[in-house]
Amino acid sequence: MPIITTHNLSKVYNPDTVPVHALRDVNLEFEEGEFTTVRGPSGSGKTTLLNMIGGLDIPTEGHVEIAGTRITGMKESKLIEFRLNNIGFVFQAYNLIPVFTAYENVTFIMLLQKRSKQEMKERAHELLSAMGLKDKLDSRPKELSGGEQQRVAVARALASRPKFILADEPTANLDTDSAMNLLDMMEKMNREENVTFIFSTHDQRVIDRARRVITMVDGAIDKDERKSPPS
Amino acid sequence: MYLKLAWRNLWRNKRRTLITVSSIMFAVVAALFVESLGEGTRQQLLDNMTGFQTGYMQIQDYRYEDEPSLDNAFLFDDSLEQKIQTDHQDVDFLIPRIETFMLAAGEEITRGAMVMGIDIEKEHQFNEIRDRLKIGEFGESGEQKAVLGEGLANRLNLAVGDTLALLGQGRFGMMSSGLFEVSGLIDFPIRELDNQIIYLSLEDAQWLLSAEERVTNLVVVPENPRNLNPLSQSLSETVKNDELRVLTWEEMMPELIEAIEFDELSGRVMLWILYVVIGFGIFGTILTMTLERKREFGILLSVGMYRTKLALVVFIETLFISILGVLSGFGLGSLILLYFHFTPIQFTGDMADLMHDFGFEATMEITFSPEIYMLQGSAILVITLLICLYPSLKIAGMDILESKK
Ligand SMILES: Nc1ncnc2c1ncn2[C@@H]1O[C@H](COP(=O)(O)OP(=O)(O)OP(=O)(O)O)[C@@H](O)[C@H]1O
Ligand SMILES: [Mg+2]
Repeated sequence: MPIITTHNLSKVYNPDTVPVHALRDVNLEFEEGEFTTVRGPSGSGKTTLLNMIGGLDIPTEGHVEIAGTRITGMKESKLIEFRLNNIGFVFQAYNLIPVFTAYENVTFIMLLQKRSKQEMKERAHELLSAMGLKDKLDSRPKELSGGEQQRVAVARALASRPKFILADEPTANLDTDSAMNLLDMMEKMNREENVTFIFSTHDQRVIDRARRVITMVDGAIDKDERKSPPS
Repeated sequence: MYLKLAWRNLWRNKRRTLITVSSIMFAVVAALFVESLGEGTRQQLLDNMTGFQTGYMQIQDYRYEDEPSLDNAFLFDDSLEQKIQTDHQDVDFLIPRIETFMLAAGEEITRGAMVMGIDIEKEHQFNEIRDRLKIGEFGESGEQKAVLGEGLANRLNLAVGDTLALLGQGRFGMMSSGLFEVSGLIDFPIRELDNQIIYLSLEDAQWLLSAEERVTNLVVVPENPRNLNPLSQSLSETVKNDELRVLTWEEMMPELIEAIEFDELSGRVMLWILYVVIGFGIFGTILTMTLERKREFGILLSVGMYRTKLALVVFIETLFISILGVLSGFGLGSLILLYFHFTPIQFTGDMADLMHDFGFEATMEITFSPEIYMLQGSAILVITLLICLYPSLKIAGMDILESKK
């Protein structure tokens, strides 16, 4: 069973004034363990799609199902809890709580999930080490480079043990080296822990590293290509 | 960890936090100062009026208030004193006074004066009147000595050692006149009376006025001046048959109460203006704080923090600020109040005259009262907390997508 299904997803902004069709009848399925990128020109609806899947925005038509649960139309409080336990988010920038250290940023989300202290501690250490941030546990976001901040954000997203991670242009604010490095980390987590990633990007080198590339034009799916896994 | 989050957020923008804390602090200090000074001044006025003019409670002939004449003086003897003292353990002691208006003359000048015959020992025990003497002493009974208010002495051009002539009407229309030696000058705290008052010994005055053993007022000194009404009622019962009545200072000086209430009211109005001004200042900083952190709030809501929890964290932050502000206000306010308590504000020159003309003394006193602290502290806390509800409400109604833009 796919972990994410979108059924005839459409979104129209400002239906009464100047209607903008941000999504047009999008039907997609995502399987566990995928490493997918959504590409397309600016304004093509990438962010809108990811927001729909993440339950941050409400579709005008159609609905989203995650692991068999229909999230469209869920009550907000339930949806928040659903997001907390099922979806990891990485945004373009300023992901982190500025007054918390890297370590605290990662444990905080597990605190929201009411995990045990022991588990919080172990997982935060494990993830931050995996992200190559062993020495940066006690650094605050402003003491970290943009790339390091995004790696902390990925670690935080993973900490809650979500079913998949949504990342809207996670590399947009990074230089090439940091962007590739972030991709390395994401790939590693995908390979070693079978974590599902869906991320949007403009960057061709990032696109090249995805195993599935969805191309959007004008709110609709233009192409959906899968590369055979590297052998 | 939520507390940690709130606490650290406080120090994230140190300058803003300090500005907010110090504006709350300033509000508290100003409120404490205005209230304590106002209360102090009112208390001082009250103490002077009750101490030197009316006492807390008086026994008078029941006709005296409408017709304050010597004809309505009453007999104060041991039996009356005993009756009151035995029936009322809560009466500390009684001070007999005889009061009337007379003409007072020096070498050249004659003026109206208020002559008061007093028992100096009892009087001093009650209001420490001897400490108010600028020069000289009160005379003993039979010595025919007078103590004058400084203002009156100046007007009559009299100094200690000079002779004062008194002329007037005694009891039942008897002519009364006498010569007295000025034995002291007093700085009388109530300005109008300073220009009028003449103290004689009780016996000398009674003799002068043909009113032996009679008094116009009997000041009752209660053990506890706070709760006068029950005592006043029971005393009334005791003396009713002697055609006497009991009046509390509140009944004797309704205008004073009105003046005090008006003063209190105008103080309140000033405070409210202060509250509003400070309130807007604090609102400004809280508003910018909320706007600046909109994105952060949006992200926290996106990743799965409940709105209520986030709102609570932010509220705790502002609660910290408010409490910090109020406590530091108490600290600084107490220092300032203490300073002025020990170095009272002393007006000089024109200002002093002006104060006198309004019936105040040139020294302003500060009252220390936990009540003022409680009231002002909590008023400002409530105001700031109301303001601090704003970010929390904002979070409650925030659109996640909007906030991440
Ligand atoms: N809140 C909104 N109100 C109105 N129109 C919106 C809103 N959000 C997005 N849009 C419009 O919807 C369309 C799709 O926007 P979206 O942000 O999904 O594009 P995108 O592919 O993410 O673009 P970019 O690459 O620039 O991030 C755009 O035309 C945009 O102007
Ligand atoms: Mg976008």
